[in-house]
Amino acid sequence: MHKVALIGAGRIGRIHARNIARHPRLALAAVVDPVEEAARALAAEWQSRVATLDEVLADPDVAGVVIASSTDTHLDYSVRAAAAGKAVFCEKPIDQDLARARTAADALSGARLLLAFNRRFDPNFQALKARLDGGEVGTLESLQITSNDPGPPPPAYVAVSGGLFKDMAIHDFDMARWLLGEEPVAVFAVGSCLVDPEIGRLGDVDTARTLLRTASGRLCVISNSRRSGFGYDQRIEAYASAGMLRADNVTETTVQAWTEAGAAADRFQNFFLDRYAEAYRREMDHFADMLDGSCSASVGYADGVAALALAEAAAQSLRSGQVVAP
Amino acid sequence: MQRIDVALVGAGRMGQVHGPNAARHPGLRLKYVVDARPGVAEAMAGRWQAGVAGLEQALADPSVGGVLVCSTTDLHLAHASAAVAAGKAVFCEKPIDLDVAKARQAQPLFRDARFLLGFNRRFDPHFLALKRRLDAGEVGRLEALHIVNHDPAAPPPGFIPTSGGLFKDFTIHDLDLARWLLGEEPCEVFASASCLVDPEIGRLGDVDTARVLLRTPSGRLCVISNTRRSGCGYDQRIEAFCSGGRLAADNVHTSTLVATTAQGALAAPIHPGFPERYRDAYRAQIEHFADVVHGRAAPAIGYDDGIAALALAEACGQSARAAAPVHS
Repeated sequence: MHKVALIGAGRIGRIHARNIARHPRLALAAVVDPVEEAARALAAEWQSRVATLDEVLADPDVAGVVIASSTDTHLDYSVRAAAAGKAVFCEKPIDQDLARARTAADALSGARLLLAFNRRFDPNFQALKARLDGGEVGTLESLQITSNDPGPPPPAYVAVSGGLFKDMAIHDFDMARWLLGEEPVAVFAVGSCLVDPEIGRLGDVDTARTLLRTASGRLCVISNSRRSGFGYDQRIEAYASAGMLRADNVTETTVQAWTEAGAAADRFQNFFLDRYAEAYRREMDHFADMLDGSCSASVGYADGVAALALAEAAAQSLRSGQVVAP
Repeated sequence: MQRIDVALVGAGRMGQVHGPNAARHPGLRLKYVVDARPGVAEAMAGRWQAGVAGLEQALADPSVGGVLVCSTTDLHLAHASAAVAAGKAVFCEKPIDLDVAKARQAQPLFRDARFLLGFNRRFDPHFLALKRRLDAGEVGRLEALHIVNHDPAAPPPGFIPTSGGLFKDFTIHDLDLARWLLGEEPCEVFASASCLVDPEIGRLGDVDTARVLLRTPSGRLCVISNTRRSGCGYDQRIEAFCSGGRLAADNVHTSTLVATTAQGALAAPIHPGFPERYRDAYRAQIEHFADVVHGRAAPAIGYDDGIAALALAEACGQSARAAAPVHS
């Protein structure tokens, strides 16, 4: 049983708390959050205790730290936890500032750090990746990643989010790197504010298309909207020399209603907590395996930096209207 | 219904689609087949009880009300111009020409012409239904568009040098669909293209895989996805993302058959190519042309649409070469 401390008792922290507490090889040793109320409630829910970050890092019994605090603390907490000899599970993004993220290279490049790009652990996308690598449809040529949120976040969130590319598209940049098998060498992004004018007033966009190109000429399009109008639209299509692999949306149930108006399928799973529930469990499994010593992190600090570099290149391309080399 | 005589100019690949559709139409009679290649016109004419004639003879015949221009692309403009000058209603295969400057030069001749440009996809019942429901506002306002247009297999390299290149030959369909559906003219074009399918296509200076981004003045975005070889049939899809949801026209399969085994469920393949996938569209197109010939309808797609699509295709080529967006 590996003792794991959770930093951050917010929305995503609560998901991880449940998956740690229910995991057969992990125990939720402590919950840390500056909002004491939140820490206490979550600790109570899973028969854990409240602690400070310093206490957790000084505790030799704590083997792993799950960092689910606000984005601006990810990098600092990761460095401190790694320095204390802990295995680290850190939520994405690694930071909002590329230059700052790169300053941690010495501290984090060799660390046991799992950067929680949850979509890599989604069983559908994992199957697509495995079959793509298996060569069943030949060599990959291009990729379409669709990632549309069900509805826009409150404007207050947008203001601190880092912008659409660093906050939302960063998942897709990681997916693209993971599937393309080559680093993108050119980034071109177009974006608009079509969903909520308030997002535009805050200097952000809510609708974007990003085109990535690799050295061998593979092409990738990423589609993002803050509001699909029909649920959480999460799809990947991989076009290869002998066909296509497609991972489609997941519906809430398989029930369909057929009437004279047509054949109606059920809704798509509404948001990430539902759509990626299994992915969150699997990434915690992977963290448990790391703590067992049976594997190293499949996605780490360098991946976080690379995805952030693509996000920054996309934002720069949007501003300049030009192609940017990440 | 009284039949009006039409002449088919060019009995090649597209002529073999349109000629029979015209001959079968109750309002049209295929009177002449024009094709300079030995035996080609004769074969088509014999099969459909038509005569063989030269272009001049067909255009000089006052009984001929309409001309279907299905010749090679380099002759579209000359043949269409001659037919318009002779006062005929004209159906012309896309593209209008490969040179936008040349096409613009001829524009005055076509101003009041009964001229229908053959962008067949606008007549596809699935895409028409999407357009109708989009315009009806059922899913709110359009924000972004995805057009997937993947050919089943690369054409023979011999076709490439005269094709005008991927953007003018192939993407031009999607550029027309984009204009039709976006409801605004794109003002920004960015294209990235590669040769990944057949190195021979690259040696001939063309590309076989491309993505195009279009942006309109109001900020609507459109992605066009092209490859010369899908590996899974003729992949033809449109998705329209709107403020209240999405409209999607998916591929049409060769049958509704699904084989379910321990390995999973295997649907019948999607249609293998354009003659099958757009069979209904080609018929509807000739229906519409018959209405134009009979004076019952004005052409739904005109010469100016051909120029606009061609200009966008040229912008795509320019953008891909420069690796920079092109503004219009």
